[in-house]
Amino acid sequence: MENLHYFGAAIGLGLVVFSAAFGIGKFTAAAAESIARQPEAADKITGAVNLPLFLLEGVAILAEVFILLIVLMK
Amino acid sequence: MSGTDQAHTSTESGFDAGEVIIGHVSNSSLEHPILHLPTIFGVDFSITKHVLMLGIVATLVFVAITWTVRKYLKQENPVPSGFMTAIEAIVQFIRDSIVLPNVGKKYLNTWTPLILTFFFFIFAANAIGLVPIFDVIGAINRFIFGGSSQDNSFVNSLLHGSTTATGNYNVTAGLATITFFAIILAGSKAHGFINHWKNLAPSGLAWPIYIILIPIEVIGMFVRPFALTMRLAANMTGGHIAILAIVSFVFIFTGLFNSAFAGIGVGALVSVPLAVAISSLEIIVIIVQAYVFTMLSAVFIGMAINVHH
Repeated sequence: MENLHYFGAAIGLGLVVFSAAFGIGKFTAAAAESIARQPEAADKITGAVNLPLFLLEGVAILAEVFILLIVLMK
Repeated sequence: MSGTDQAHTSTESGFDAGEVIIGHVSNSSLEHPILHLPTIFGVDFSITKHVLMLGIVATLVFVAITWTVRKYLKQENPVPSGFMTAIEAIVQFIRDSIVLPNVGKKYLNTWTPLILTFFFFIFAANAIGLVPIFDVIGAINRFIFGGSSQDNSFVNSLLHGSTTATGNYNVTAGLATITFFAIILAGSKAHGFINHWKNLAPSGLAWPIYIILIPIEVIGMFVRPFALTMRLAANMTGGHIAILAIVSFVFIFTGLFNSAFAGIGVGALVSVPLAVAISSLEIIVIIVQAYVFTMLSAVFIGMAINVHH
């Protein structure tokens, strides 16, 4: 029972990867669709998508850091 | 905090993947610094690996950029050539598509230098972290000059710790602190010191909303630089951990099957191709992370200047 924190870390890492991939997938799909609909607004769409994408990535990385802390610090 | 009990699989071969990986992505320890300096006011000024890398990166960026730009400014006809072409393209890209849309025309020339400095420094620090300079020096020392791996020579002290200075949370926290004060300075310059703090929360709402809103905005003020810190350092550390873990397969499998051929086979078929792939992914990551840090700094500075309420 003393190694249970590895379980938590592994499950948490899986959840982080799953949800981050889901979020990025939704972003990219929406951006691709709107660029296909309005190719002349591609620059504006890319600019609008960029910032939330980086914020999402930051949350995912933050979660990974905390998972690493669970493994290293117990 | 040690990874001593991480790799149960390889205990018999004496190879500890966890300890090796942590040793390669963290700073070298304060007990064995590269250069001993005295303790002043309770702060140990000894030079560890990341401090050395910070110095190398800062010197390299300063000399390369200043020398090239000075030489260009002295020319008779202002046509950029060589390295100056690259610098000019980056400067123009950052000014026109990162700073200008976020900060606005009025304060463009005030904040572009800061953002550019961030970009060049972070990019150089990230990129140098991918180049195994000291490991090559250590290998030459050991196999050509016959140095020992046990003695406390200068070359051996260079081998501890990672070369990515931006992979250290203290370094990125320092960079984010500059952003934190730049945000306050930008707001104060544009609206006055008192008005900057008033701008944090929109005016003209019912008073109970402020009880929730003001703490949220104050927390948000500190969360932004914290997120910048974590994003850059964790991205840099994460990529290196992935590469090292894949390369560690060679030694783990050698220990597991007690034969060098298993290790060589896994290395040739799995580790080296995967490590090459992740290294090339890292080349994209170092550019994107330098871009993200500068862009988010520009966005936050712009949010303090152009208040949308």
